[in-house]
Amino acid sequence: MSGVVKHLVAGYKRAVGLNRPGKSLVILPDDVFLVSFPKSGNTWTRFLVANLRFPGEPATFANINRLIPDPTATPRREFDRMPRPRIIKSHECFDPRYPRVINVVRDPRDVVVSQYHYHRKIKKIADDSPIEKFVTRFLAGETCPHGSWGQNVATWLYTSEGNPRYLLLRYEDLIADAPRELAKVASFLNLPTSPELLAQAVERSSADRMRKLEKEQDHGLYRNSRKDMSFVRAAGSGGWRKDLPLEQAARLEAAWGSLMKHLGYELAT
Amino acid sequence: MFGQIKFAAKRALGLDLAGRHYAVYPDDTFLVSYPKSGNTWVRFLLANLIHPNETVSFANINRLLPAPGVITRRFLKSVPRPRILKSHEPFDARFRRVIYLVRDPRDVALSEYHFDLKKRYVVADMTLDQFIEPFLAGETSSYGSWWEHVASWVGARHGNPNFLLARYEDLLADPIAETAKIAGFLGIEADAERLKSAVARSSADKMRKLEKQDADKWTGTKNTRQEIPFVRSAKSGGWKDNLPRQAVQQIELAWSPLMNFLGYELESPELDPKAMPVWVKAERTT
Repeated sequence: MSGVVKHLVAGYKRAVGLNRPGKSLVILPDDVFLVSFPKSGNTWTRFLVANLRFPGEPATFANINRLIPDPTATPRREFDRMPRPRIIKSHECFDPRYPRVINVVRDPRDVVVSQYHYHRKIKKIADDSPIEKFVTRFLAGETCPHGSWGQNVATWLYTSEGNPRYLLLRYEDLIADAPRELAKVASFLNLPTSPELLAQAVERSSADRMRKLEKEQDHGLYRNSRKDMSFVRAAGSGGWRKDLPLEQAARLEAAWGSLMKHLGYELAT
Repeated sequence: MFGQIKFAAKRALGLDLAGRHYAVYPDDTFLVSYPKSGNTWVRFLLANLIHPNETVSFANINRLLPAPGVITRRFLKSVPRPRILKSHEPFDARFRRVIYLVRDPRDVALSEYHFDLKKRYVVADMTLDQFIEPFLAGETSSYGSWWEHVASWVGARHGNPNFLLARYEDLLADPIAETAKIAGFLGIEADAERLKSAVARSSADKMRKLEKQDADKWTGTKNTRQEIPFVRSAKSGGWKDNLPRQAVQQIELAWSPLMNFLGYELESPELDPKAMPVWVKAERTT
């Protein structure tokens, strides 16, 4: 019986557009996808791009799913109502249907540390779960449904590098000079821009402001997670040197060294 | 509205096509390729190898070696594990074990051009020259361009023990040896007799006859132009005689590093036959 009720509820939601479209999202020819492997600065970049694109409505954790929607979290009818061109968040591997792509990549040694803490926060792993164990699963692509870091990044880079409809951004470059990198996004999206607009978008997306918003706002995604650990964590690069044992970094480098070097991440081993 | 109700009913009964939205199991093996790269032939080879006592035909191939894109969700659920499934999808992280079939893109272009005419995907008077530009841009297929497809799979999985790269050209040159490799990957114990029989029962002549017999029963040939055959030349190197020189050069200019990597000899003298895709270059300097 409960199965039937579930079907009916799902059917009703679909009929009125309250369902999350997920992979069934109807992609429009002028859509832009903001793609990254999880824990690679996607949320920060979402704030940056939203604040650049919608200067009249500062991005918050409460409106971000509407401004830069996520097919797995935003109801379908929001997608139908949005001004075009739409900018859509994604963690998927290469998808030939995406017409234009902004791809954010981050040093996998920092990604693994970030994901480890995130999984403790959302109680996916025990608090004292050893990082070695997490690295093993991370290498095998078992910590999320979007492939391993190496596979996810390789499918985008190797298929699309050099394509004018593909913009590659490194999280580390965003940290080093956000206005410069955001100017690349503006030019890629043909958005009107000025040093003031760029500075405003960066200011509105600062780690301090995002930490403050995170505390104030009860955003659904992290509702049942630990409140003593924040989603906006270090917001820096190179933290792995302190938080990741060298032998664990070495395992990542052995698996993905060529890809890391191609992206300009210096190997430590 | 009626369409929606019909779809909802089909969905509830599991009669909708599985498409891309179905449960993938860790023991599934996928036979993956870009379209027009010999996938149907290898499907017949494998079906004949696995079912030596069945007459494999276009009427039952969707059952014997299912393609989730064209079978119902209910049928897919009934397929016993471990499953072997056919797919044209570009990289999908859920596919753990993959036989990746690749073919010289100059022959793929030629084959896809004829197939698209047969399927009426392109206007009937489109010339090969006109076809090449959209082909290179990946606009003639919903699976991306040949480069994107091959790079997504080979770039992400090359060297992985659960990834078998097979060239269509090698299968043509020595079908028994290459089928034996695939059988080994699948853990199928096949002696010389069984391999020989599978190859014989999947010959181009045999498949042409089967196509004539069942063209109206198979998703690939139903409602298409019957004067253009699905099983066409079944050869490699057809591009040398049938693809305009300019088209050959365009393809090589766009994709030479990946063609070099796969061992497809270039014709254009100005291109570097040693140029390799990014992932190979990087590996060499490590």
